Amino acid sequence: MAIYVLSVSLAFAFLLIVLELVRRQKLKEQYSLLWILFSVTLLIISFNVSFIEWIADKLGVKYAPAILFLFGLLFSFALILHLTIVITRLTSQVLRLAQEVTILKEREVPHGQND
Amino acid sequence: MKTLVIIPAYNEEGSIASVIRDIHRFAPSVDIVVINDGSTDRTKQRATEAGAKVLTLPYNVGIGGGMQTGYIYAKQHGYEIAIQMDADGQHLASELPKLIAQTEQYDLVIGSRYVENTSYRSSLLRRVGMVFFSNLVTLVTGQRFTDTTSGFRAAGPRVIDLYAKYYPMDYPEVEALIYLKRKGCRITEVATEMRNRETGKSSITPIKSVYYMVKVTLSVLMSAIRYDRAAVSK
Repeated sequence: MAIYVLSVSLAFAFLLIVLELVRRQKLKEQYSLLWILFSVTLLIISFNVSFIEWIADKLGVKYAPAILFLFGLLFSFALILHLTIVITRLTSQVLRLAQEVTILKEREVPHGQND
Repeated sequence: MKTLVIIPAYNEEGSIASVIRDIHRFAPSVDIVVINDGSTDRTKQRATEAGAKVLTLPYNVGIGGGMQTGYIYAKQHGYEIAIQMDADGQHLASELPKLIAQTEQYDLVIGSRYVENTSYRSSLLRRVGMVFFSNLVTLVTGQRFTDTTSGFRAAGPRVIDLYAKYYPMDYPEVEALIYLKRKGCRITEVATEMRNRETGKSSITPIKSVYYMVKVTLSVLMSAIRYDRAAVSK
């Protein structure tokens, strides 16, 4: 049962950390929603031991807590994929800014003086 | 015709000035803009002294991002022809009129090393790559290209507009071609002499060339199957 106790307390601590980060404006509300949803889900399924065991039974998993790891891992992959999509968008936005600034800078100062 | 030569340069202090002088000599009416892509040497000073306009990017953005800066500049300043040329002296300014002449009928004119037998010789590995890309592009576009990786190109107003909107990032030459074909541009190749590089060294190492092959192949295939909203709505 220790894994469930650990899981519940970790999920709870995690939820608090996420909320604190949002309060300090270190994390955008937009991105925090996903994390809040994740920690609440984790909290609920950690409390509900029989639910985990029921799923494990249906999926034919002998060691029930492994289900927690499986879903945690899948969630992490989804989140990382989402983040690389965000980075791709940011990269092209930053490039466009650099290009615009470069052209503006040249226009601003006389030729040869733009250091 | 208002013509601009775009020269992307990253640490090319050794050759940039002579490239600019050659352009002044063989095509005196064209404007020259050097895209200084975060060089750490005296590329900027050499190019300015030689009489070119220099745009200095705040950090190194790579060949695609640099090239596109030139096209955005060309579009904003109303140039009708934009010619891209390498800073290492590989492309000959004496061939410029040949490229410019063809822009009347074509949206993009590529200076090719292989249309006719020219004196240019490259390594075996490089030739294998060229043949591979040439066949890949022919397969995807249905048009025969001999030198898909040539960076010596003249673009008309339509291409300037398209490239200002979108330009592929690293190793962009092949994909930039497919993009234009997908937009229905008319493209041709003309035979041009090319020199082997004089100073500096190629950025392509053996490991990079494997990455190059895989990356470009993927981007060509992806461009070929990309759902094109602009083309559909027209």
